[in-house]
Amino acid sequence: MATNNSQQSGSGPPPKPWERAGSSSSGPAPFKPATPGSTSDVVEASGTARPGEIVQSNNTTSAVNTLGRPVPPRPWEQQQTYGGAGYGSSLGYNSGLGAGGYGSYGGMGSSYNSGGLYGNSMYRGGGYGGLYGGSSSMYGGGMYGSSYGGGMGGMGMGMGMGGMGMGMGMGMGGPGGPYDDQDPNNPFGAPSQPPGFWISLMRVMQGFVTFFGRVAMLIDQNAQAFHMFMSALLQLFDRSGLLYGELARFVFRILGVKTKPNKIQPPGPHGQHGQQIEGPKSAPAGGWDGVWGNNAPN
Amino acid sequence: MPAFKTPFNGYAVKFSPFYEQRLAVATAQNFGILGNGRIHVIDLSPAGPIAEIAAYDTADGVYDVSWSESHDSLLVAAVADGSVKLYDLSLPPTSNPVRSLSEHTRETHSVDYNAVRRDSFLSSSWDDTIKLWTIDRPTSVRTFKEHAYCVYSAAWNPRHADVFASASGDCTARIWDVREPGSTMILPAHEFEILSCDWNKYDDAVIATSSVDKSIKVWDVRNYRVPVAVLNGHGYAVRKVKFSPHRASVIASCSYDMTVCLWDYMVEDSLIGRYDHHTEFAVGVDMSVLVEGLLASTGWDEFAYVWQHGTDPKAP
Repeated sequence: MATNNSQQSGSGPPPKPWERAGSSSSGPAPFKPATPGSTSDVVEASGTARPGEIVQSNNTTSAVNTLGRPVPPRPWEQQQTYGGAGYGSSLGYNSGLGAGGYGSYGGMGSSYNSGGLYGNSMYRGGGYGGLYGGSSSMYGGGMYGSSYGGGMGGMGMGMGMGGMGMGMGMGMGGPGGPYDDQDPNNPFGAPSQPPGFWISLMRVMQGFVTFFGRVAMLIDQNAQAFHMFMSALLQLFDRSGLLYGELARFVFRILGVKTKPNKIQPPGPHGQHGQQIEGPKSAPAGGWDGVWGNNAPN
Repeated sequence: MPAFKTPFNGYAVKFSPFYEQRLAVATAQNFGILGNGRIHVIDLSPAGPIAEIAAYDTADGVYDVSWSESHDSLLVAAVADGSVKLYDLSLPPTSNPVRSLSEHTRETHSVDYNAVRRDSFLSSSWDDTIKLWTIDRPTSVRTFKEHAYCVYSAAWNPRHADVFASASGDCTARIWDVREPGSTMILPAHEFEILSCDWNKYDDAVIATSSVDKSIKVWDVRNYRVPVAVLNGHGYAVRKVKFSPHRASVIASCSYDMTVCLWDYMVEDSLIGRYDHHTEFAVGVDMSVLVEGLLASTGWDEFAYVWQHGTDPKAP
């Protein structure tokens, strides 16, 4: 370990073990023999050189999709795909849990749910295109949307992971709001300069997009580990068996079903005690009517 | 051998092809999601602790690093802001990076230096492209854009100066010749995203791919209908795969199941070693070209380990 295979800078490294081993390939050579010369010369001679070409990300129209099936949208694209769905949806997690499926992007569809609250997606992307990514929902019929039908305008930012949610809403009601002329997405007027505040906000949101893009990539590469983590988390919450029980009660209450309070009746003073032990209580007239406790005898 | 503690989460580790005791470690703050990055160049010493030779800070996480095959002091780094940066250890820190190449429009995920012709390197990115660079030019020589999803890794053929392979999230691995306009071969290698690929050093027609489906597959590019071998044993996605520079059929891999595994794909019980020294995702592994059996790994537990195969990586 202490020996120092010192090499002069500019010369090559020590020969590789496989170079010392001699010829390669166990069969016919699969590739054309290498062309002598420097890499740039070889590429230029082949006519394929495109120096400094910038490819806009996700320009898949040029890509040859040989899969025969559509590739999933990238995590950072999904805000555009789903308009004002908010950032939470890009994780596709909410519904992913419900559906129990973790196909890399499973459940994006239904995670749109809360997105609908925040403005329509009429101007999704708008003049800001993909540049501002997810922030597009901000203008999507939101803040400036009042001139197009009014109603509830909104700026929505939602991130949802499991049960943790964060929402921010700004509403502006009524037809013909005071900002009509300033609508930066108004296709009929000259584009106006968006205020500096919004620019900075959009930069912040761009940061959010990058952040969630990277989180989503990791989840994407690691869907099962994430699943394990979240199920462990849920199990932890459900340690006392309360979580799902309470959830079920809540659902029942919403459905209008009143659940029976889980109390043990104290023994009555009139000698019903023995009756309870000895056998089934004789059903009052009307049998099942009192089963949910609405008009229980006592 | 003692471990090296990095302040950030490890992403890649590479042995120098010139000095057997030297390594470079690429790290990123906050698991590479948000924050800065740092490249450490470390020297092993026979008895004492690992010494840090140099450290370079970046404004975004560093996902991969590759040593130059032409200059012993030159390093190439893949940075999460989409740039590819070149560092020269022989220059003072203020002069580094000597070059910052910004053409990728999204995170650069891997870099690989051409070991045969030694004047060029590849970078692969989440913008679905691979770029070919030479050290004497400020712009890329050409761009390979065929993949339909992020390209996680690109690796030069160790015996052929013009051929390389790429692994992508579009579930294909592709073989390319820099003289051809498009890819020369498309391997629909896995049903899930492919995270890494590497060439057999002793048979230039054999590549290995690792995937989110937890498996490693070995392919002969002359007959790619069926894999030569399928290596199952990792519990989660296999992040990196690397052929041994010394043994034709030995493969090292690291995975999100926090283990580093060693395989011999020619024998029936192909799993020949499993190391579970990492306490977080193991995302970087390398095998020394100069010392047979010397392995290095890094992971999100902020440690880089170097050990001889068969010994305990945590043994002091």
